[in-house]
Amino acid sequence: MTKLVQWLCGLALLGTAWATLALDPLGLHLPLPCQQVLWPFPVYLLVAFGCYSLAAIGYRLATFNDCEAAAKELQEQIREARADLSRRGLKF
Amino acid sequence: MATAMDQLVGFGLVAFSLLLFVYYTIWIIILPFIDSDHGIHKFFLPREYSVTIPVVAGLLLVLFVGVFIVIVMWKNRKPAKTD
Repeated sequence: MTKLVQWLCGLALLGTAWATLALDPLGLHLPLPCQQVLWPFPVYLLVAFGCYSLAAIGYRLATFNDCEAAAKELQEQIREARADLSRRGLKF
Repeated sequence: MATAMDQLVGFGLVAFSLLLFVYYTIWIIILPFIDSDHGIHKFFLPREYSVTIPVVAGLLLVLFVGVFIVIVMWKNRKPAKTD
């Protein structure tokens, strides 16, 4: 079973569970506050996931380290390559 | 260490998303269990907006992404060669 099919099955399961509780086909009446919490629940999960994604991106942006030594080494290598190529006749 | 601007933007994003998450959680999950005459309800919009605003925002996001893709593809089109 591919990953896509697994995810779709999981989503279908959660969707059915939500629909059974929210649309009330069985006639079991949940207390009113529970119903009010249940209705926007899928949207809530989406918004929570969006918030988590934004926070993860922001945190990794803030904690990403510059590599000074590697940057200097790279600049040095670029200079050497330019000198070498212009010696062999390539025009820059 | 990331540059100061990067750190500012990064932690700003973290703070913003945390704020959004807390507000939305209180709105959706906690408010229904609080009596309707409590003062906290005046800080929150009517409940219908808790669904319409994210859905509209999501649609706008998809719209912007689509428009961006169309613009980039339009700029990169090459005229067809005539043989």
